[in-house]
Parts: sequence; structure tokens; C-alpha cells
Amino acid sequence: MDEQEKRPKEDKEHLKKPLDFSRRTFLKGMGTTAIATSITLAPLSLPPIAEAGPPPAVREAWIQLNVNGKTRRLKVRSHWMLLDVLRKELGLTGTKKFCDRGSCGACTVLMDGKAVYACSLLAVEADNRKILTIEGLLKGGKLHPIQEAFLEHDGVQCGFCTPGQIMSVKALLDKTPRPTREEIMEGLSGNVCRCSAYPKILQSAMAAAQRG
Amino acid sequence: MAKEMMIIGKRHPKLDGAERVSGQAIYASDVYLPGMLFGKILRSPHPHAKVVRIDAEKARALPGVLAVLTPGDIAAFSWDKCPGRGHHDMPILTDTARYVGDNIAAVAAVDEDRAQEALDLIKVEYQTLPFVLDPEEALKPSAPKVHPKGNLLGGKPVLLNRGNIEKGFQEADLIFESRYDTPMLQHVTAEPRVCVARWDRGRLTVWDSLQYTFGTQAGLAYIFKIPMSKVRVICDFMGGGFGDKIQPERYSVLASILSMKTGHPVRMELSREENFLSTHHRYPSISYLKYGARKDGTLTAIQARVIGDMGGYCHLDGAMNVIETMKAVYRCPNLKAEGYTLYTNKPEGGAMRCVGHPQGQFAQEVHMDIMAEKLGLDPVMFRLKNHARLEDGDQDRKTPFSSNGMEECIRKGAEAFGWTQKRQKPGASPGPVKKGFGMAIHSCRHGAMTVPSAGMVKINSDGTVNVLVGTADIGGNQKSTMAMIASEELGIPMDAISVTAADTEVTLDTGSSAGSKQTITGGTAIKLAAADAKKQLFEIAARELKTGKENLEARGGTIYPLGSDKGISIASVMRKAPAAITGRGTGSLPKGVVTYCFAAHFVEVDVDTLTGKVRLVKLVAAHDLGRTINLLGAENQVEGGAIQGMGMGLTEAMIFDKDSGICVNPNLVDYKLFTMKDTPEILSLFIETMDPVGPFGAKGLGEPPYSVPAPAIANAISNALGVRFNELPINIRPILEGRSKGSKA
Repeated sequence: MDEQEKRPKEDKEHLKKPLDFSRRTFLKGMGTTAIATSITLAPLSLPPIAEAGPPPAVREAWIQLNVNGKTRRLKVRSHWMLLDVLRKELGLTGTKKFCDRGSCGACTVLMDGKAVYACSLLAVEADNRKILTIEGLLKGGKLHPIQEAFLEHDGVQCGFCTPGQIMSVKALLDKTPRPTREEIMEGLSGNVCRCSAYPKILQSAMAAAQRG
Repeated sequence: MAKEMMIIGKRHPKLDGAERVSGQAIYASDVYLPGMLFGKILRSPHPHAKVVRIDAEKARALPGVLAVLTPGDIAAFSWDKCPGRGHHDMPILTDTARYVGDNIAAVAAVDEDRAQEALDLIKVEYQTLPFVLDPEEALKPSAPKVHPKGNLLGGKPVLLNRGNIEKGFQEADLIFESRYDTPMLQHVTAEPRVCVARWDRGRLTVWDSLQYTFGTQAGLAYIFKIPMSKVRVICDFMGGGFGDKIQPERYSVLASILSMKTGHPVRMELSREENFLSTHHRYPSISYLKYGARKDGTLTAIQARVIGDMGGYCHLDGAMNVIETMKAVYRCPNLKAEGYTLYTNKPEGGAMRCVGHPQGQFAQEVHMDIMAEKLGLDPVMFRLKNHARLEDGDQDRKTPFSSNGMEECIRKGAEAFGWTQKRQKPGASPGPVKKGFGMAIHSCRHGAMTVPSAGMVKINSDGTVNVLVGTADIGGNQKSTMAMIASEELGIPMDAISVTAADTEVTLDTGSSAGSKQTITGGTAIKLAAADAKKQLFEIAARELKTGKENLEARGGTIYPLGSDKGISIASVMRKAPAAITGRGTGSLPKGVVTYCFAAHFVEVDVDTLTGKVRLVKLVAAHDLGRTINLLGAENQVEGGAIQGMGMGLTEAMIFDKDSGICVNPNLVDYKLFTMKDTPEILSLFIETMDPVGPFGAKGLGEPPYSVPAPAIANAISNALGVRFNELPINIRPILEGRSKGSKA
């Protein structure tokens, strides 16, 4: 089995339309083996998976995740983080890797309703848990009210930290539907925005809270 | 007065905002291709060392490893004189490490685990060399040489003379000298340096997080000796740039070579630590300033000796970029400047938001504040007296500014802040938590028209519009800016407009999204392209409406004869068109003027003298941006830029261990970024000078907000404590140390 086949078969189903479209575009014109030219050496096929097994002292395990309402069973390595599994194995690239050390919040997802840093949680720790990612907020292609508030109040610059910001707001509002300004600032203090759109993020979160 | 605008100046949400808030936007780091390999780079653990021998045999033999590159393996690829790159001193892989993190070898393997294992198996024998971290040490003849030609770039300082500096000092009643230091800073873009390169049947496609896709396209074509038409670089969404992502870089070249060698797409993603070590940085600076002024506050002499510490490699003249602020912000007939741009064994110094100017303005604005105090003048009045006027412009080339809102920035900012009422003697605030008030100004050549400036606007058969622009949207709302400009020019509503940006295959080069220049450079191209498309559209509409094409106007997607409210929709005009309309626009440089951006910031701080903590209370930021294109986006730029600038003032610095040359805080735990809780109330004021060069009168805005807060904060803290701070960042330690020296009020 090669790297390509390691991806779960249902991978494409859950991808929302724009992403799906992009993926297909990527696939077009994409030969599995490139034709050699003057610069390339002979094209190689990927080695068998047995040769690329886990590194020494790393074990593999089957886990079951409920992600955005869908149950997934997948084989993970013992040192893989939930973030890598979401992005690479499940194709849910809305959850971002920024600091990769539990200090910026860009990878925030909800696990059993609680905001967690997916970069700092082993995938095996998420076994049998309910995970909600940014992709899970869309309902039938429609933005969630928190997403609408971020769009309308421009609580976004580059947008890379935005999914994490929005998931933190979601966790806060689920617990505290009418937060004070201070509670919002506390709730979002674990989410770094390097573009520093903080005033607009705060306005977006306050607007989302008012929408209920 | 210009005619009333339909969309320009309004608050408009991001054109692609829905994709950004929903997690659907595809950044370079989200590109995962079938059969893709993972690349990794082996980095030097030593700040200065010769590679004596590399044994990569075990790595090459490891199953799942498809390619290993050492300097010897890629000797055929040279990027000397590569277009799009500022420096010509950096090998793609080096056999002399010049800083901890320098690139020695690279691998591609089936997954990241295997790639890491391969790196661990590469045995490098180093001969360590003496190293130098301190830039002043690096200037000494006995210092270790980072490059064979010596540590001072060009072998001698760059000199600049205006008027007669000796005469200037003779005329002065006050001569004041001091030294100012700024540290190395990281951009910390949320999205790391990352690309996926795919070499496929003689074509190279690279998805990369870049502020300038065309620069990387030209660079890769040059390195691999393939036509530009066979190289496509794509950057649809990117997670922040701030000057980090402006040129072709080693990781993109290495990923491309690895893809060529293996026949597979190769992904190269730098870890956060690698971003701290092996990208470029805001270079440290040392500024020795000596200024002279008359009793009435008139500046008579500006003398500056500036050291720009570029680390192991250099892509721009660091010292002269700092000196630009000393040349430009104030009117002064006598100036003498010396710039020393030099190498040390630290990571590469280079462009970061408003390159060089934040370093220069920290020095100059603290210096000016001290002089105002010594002269017994209000710092606001001292700036009003000396700031460069409209006619001053480039004082060395005697070219006036195209517009200049500095006076209004200072006056309106001071008024909104309540400067006159709040002003107090240094250290006069009672109690352990002391209030302080400070201000600073800035002007810079960023935000000006540059070339190339080319764009296309397509009107489809259904009347909708595609804007094709080379400008990368780095988070500064560039796509919306282009759409708003096209919408206004064409009279077509925003929801009929789509923007494709920075794809080298389908858009035209408008230069990098750097230097605050895309509103004016990309914007001019798109405005001209939209005007060209509209002209073609009106020719068809004139026939349909049986009137002259000069008698038409477009509003809300409908074309009307002037003065009439009976028109025909653009969609129905397009049904009569023989083909889709393509409008093309090429902007050119203005003659006889220089375009600058202007800003004045006012800040209030609370300094806790017991804990050393500074709380920012309020910032008033007044900016001359020519004309606001998108009010919502403009506020966001000023707020975000200012908050980054506050980080420069109070928290950010890369710290190097003197004994090992290692950066000890290459992560977000130890390199402190501002969070929402650190952010004060920010009031943005926009001064509209209706610049004659820019589209609809607009100039740039992206960078100036960064350059002003650090000195304004430094001046406010000094006002609170009665002690001056000449080095950034002003965090707890210097405040507690400085407190004891301060006024006892």
C-alpha cells in the first residue's frame, strides 16, 4: 500500500464543495509518475509501506473519532498529534498549525464541547471522543452565526488563525451565552493573531454573542 | 472635489472572507497531493563552521528515503545574480555554516518521520570556527570573517552628505548625542514558510506562501534554466507575510530540486523553530545620533552613524534603510550619515514591515523627544516646527512630495488624544502606578507607485467581471481593494466581481505585496484595466442606446445616457458583444514628485513601578493614506500594524546565547507576542490628502502603522518615570532597573 492509499477512502465525501473542487483541480494533469526530462532522474514509485513503517519505538493503534458528527476509524502512530491526523489523514485543513507548541491556539478544536489545542493532544488521547472542527460549523454550506459575525466585522486579516479564534468563541458562547467584554478577552487570550486584528476580533465575538 | 464615490471609502467585508472564516480557504500549507513526499533540511548546530565531510550513505540507504541533497549534489544549480533576490552571498546548501540553522543538506522521504530519521543518519564532520555575534565586534580587524571579503559590506561605510554639517552644529544652541539599540525580531507569520513543488513533464508548479509569486517564478526559471512559461507559482491565500516572504528562498528551490530528482511532488514546511532560525528577520540596529537645534526649536544639523547587523547573509542595505528616516522625516539643510551594513554569525537580517524604518524611527523619535525636553518645548510643537513640508520631499534630490498630510496628522491626532490637557512633567504622576503620555511621528517612501504595474479586467458574456491581478493577498485585504477599485471604475456592483490574485500563469506582475505599495501599484493597474474594459463596453452600449460613447455612465451594473434614468444592463450589452471584453492596464512612474505616507501616534501608558509592568491604555493613530479605499480594512491595517509595533516596543526580541551563538527563544512561549488582553483602545484617524498619483487619490497604508508605536511608547514610559530608555524592548527588567534612576515624585 502506498502513501496515497493510506488516506481513508471516505476522504473526499466530507470535503466541502470549494475544497473538493480544488482537490480535483490539483488532480487534473497530475500523472502518478512524472515523465523524465533532461533534469529529472528516472521517476521512482513510492516504496512499499512496510519499508516506510513507523520509526523505532513508535507503535500503531486503531482509534475511533467522531469528527463533525461522522464516525471515523483509523490507524494512527502513537506519537501523532490530533492536529496532524485531522489535517493529513482526514483532509480537514481548516484547523491550522501555527506555533505547534500549545501556545497560539490556531489549532483549537472542541473535544466533547471543550476547547483544546489539537497540536498538543495525541491522537490516541482523542479515541472515542467527539471532535468539532471549523468545517463542522457550516450547515448546508451556510456560515454559522459566529462565522458571519467575523465576516461582517472583519475579524480577519490573513485568516490563518481565524478558525482557531472562531472555535474558541464557540466554546465560550456554548458555556457563557452572554459573556462580558472581559470574559471574551479572557476566552480569546489563548489565541494569537499575528496580524493583530484583535480589536476587530473582539467586535466580531461581541456581535456573535449578541446574535445568540 | 472629486465626484461622489459609489463604493470607494465604504466599509466592505472581505471579498474572500467567507472562505477565510469557514476554513475552506486553501493556503500553501493546506496543499496535500497524492504521492507527495516530505522534505526536510539539515541545519548547522554551529554559528560558524566549515563542513569537512558529509556522510549521507546511511540516509540514502534508508527505505522510504527517495533523495538526499548535499552541497556537492546540487553544485550544478547556481543562483548567483538570480532575479528577484537581493543578495548574492548565500549558497543554496552551504559548506560553510554562518549561523546556527544554516542549510547543509536536504532529504525527501515518504513521510515526515522517515525524513527526520534520514536527517539523523547524515553524519557531518564540522571544523568549528571562531564566531562573532556583536556587530561592533564584527567591525574590528581581528574579528572572525563571516564571508571571505570581510564583515563590512562593500568594504567601507556608505556616506551621505547634505549641506554643511559643521555649519549646522555651529548654528545650534543645543547639540545632543546619544546611542539607540534595537534587537533582532521575527515576523512570526502564522503560516510558516511552506511550499509544495511539483515537477511534471517539464513543467514546474509551486504552491508557496509568498508576497511575490513572480519573483519566485523568475528565480526558479533562472536557477533551473527553464523558460518562465514552464514555471507556475501559485499563492491564493497566505497566512501573513510582513516582509518575510518577499523573495525566492532556499526551501522552495530545494523542494523543486527534490521533485525533479524523485518525480514526486515534494512538500517542504519549516517548523516554527526553523522559521525563527532560518528565514530572515528584522535586523538589529545601532544608531549613534548627534542632532543640533536652535533655541526656537529649528533643527540645524542631523548626524547619524548607523550599524545594520545583517547576520550571516544580506539581501538589502540595512544601515541605509534605517538612515532613510533620518533623511526624510524632518526638514534639515545639513545632514551627514554613515551606514555600516555588516555580517555577524546570527540568522539573516532583512526586510520586515517598513524595512529599517521602525529601527530608525525608534532612535530618531526618542532623540527628538529628549531634545524637545532639553529645549523646553512641547514635543508636538517641536515636530510641527521641523517635519518635512510638501515642497521639501526628497531633500537630496530636491523633488517635492506628491501629497503631505503630516501637519494634519499631528494636529488632529493631538486634538483627539487631548494632548494639551494631558501633557505633564516627566515623572509627575503620583503613586506607584504612574501615567505617561508620549507621541511620535513617521513618514516613509513606502506606499508609493512602483513598476511593474500591470493588470487585466475581464467582462464575461453575462456581465460579471474577473479581476486578474498579480498582487498577492497577504492578509491586507488586497483582493477586496482591487475589486472595489474595479467596481467603482466600471459601475458594476461588488457581488458581480471575482478576483484571481498572484497566480503567475493567469495574472500579470505588479511587484511584491511589500512596501505598502499594492493599493497604488496594483490598484493603478486595475483602475486602468477597468477603464479600458469600460471604454470597450461603452462602444457597444453607445450603438445600442444610439448615443455617443462619451455620453454614457455606468451605475450599479447598468449603463445610462448621461442625465437619463433609462439604461440597459451591462449583461444585455455583453450579449451584443462579439466576445468577452478584456481590459488591460499598465501603470507608470510619476515624474517630478515622490509619494510618501505620513503618520502621528499618541499613546497613554500606566507604568507599575513596583512590578515593572506597562499597561497600554490608549493609542490614537493618525495616518495620511491619500484616500481610504475600504474603511473597514484600513482600520484593521492600522490597528494590526500598531499592535505589532507595540510588541516591538514592549515584548519582542530574539535572544542569543553569547557562548554558543544559539537563539534561546525560537518559539511562541519565549518570544512574546501581543494577545487581545494586551491590546489598548485604538482610535484610527484617516487624513485624506487625495494624492494626485494614486488610484482615486489613495496611497499605501500597510507598513507605517508599525513604525510609530515603539518610540511613542518609549516616550510615554519616559514621561511616566522621568527616565529615558534607549534600547528595545522596554520590558520589565529595564523598567525596574530604570525606576531606581528615575524621578522620586
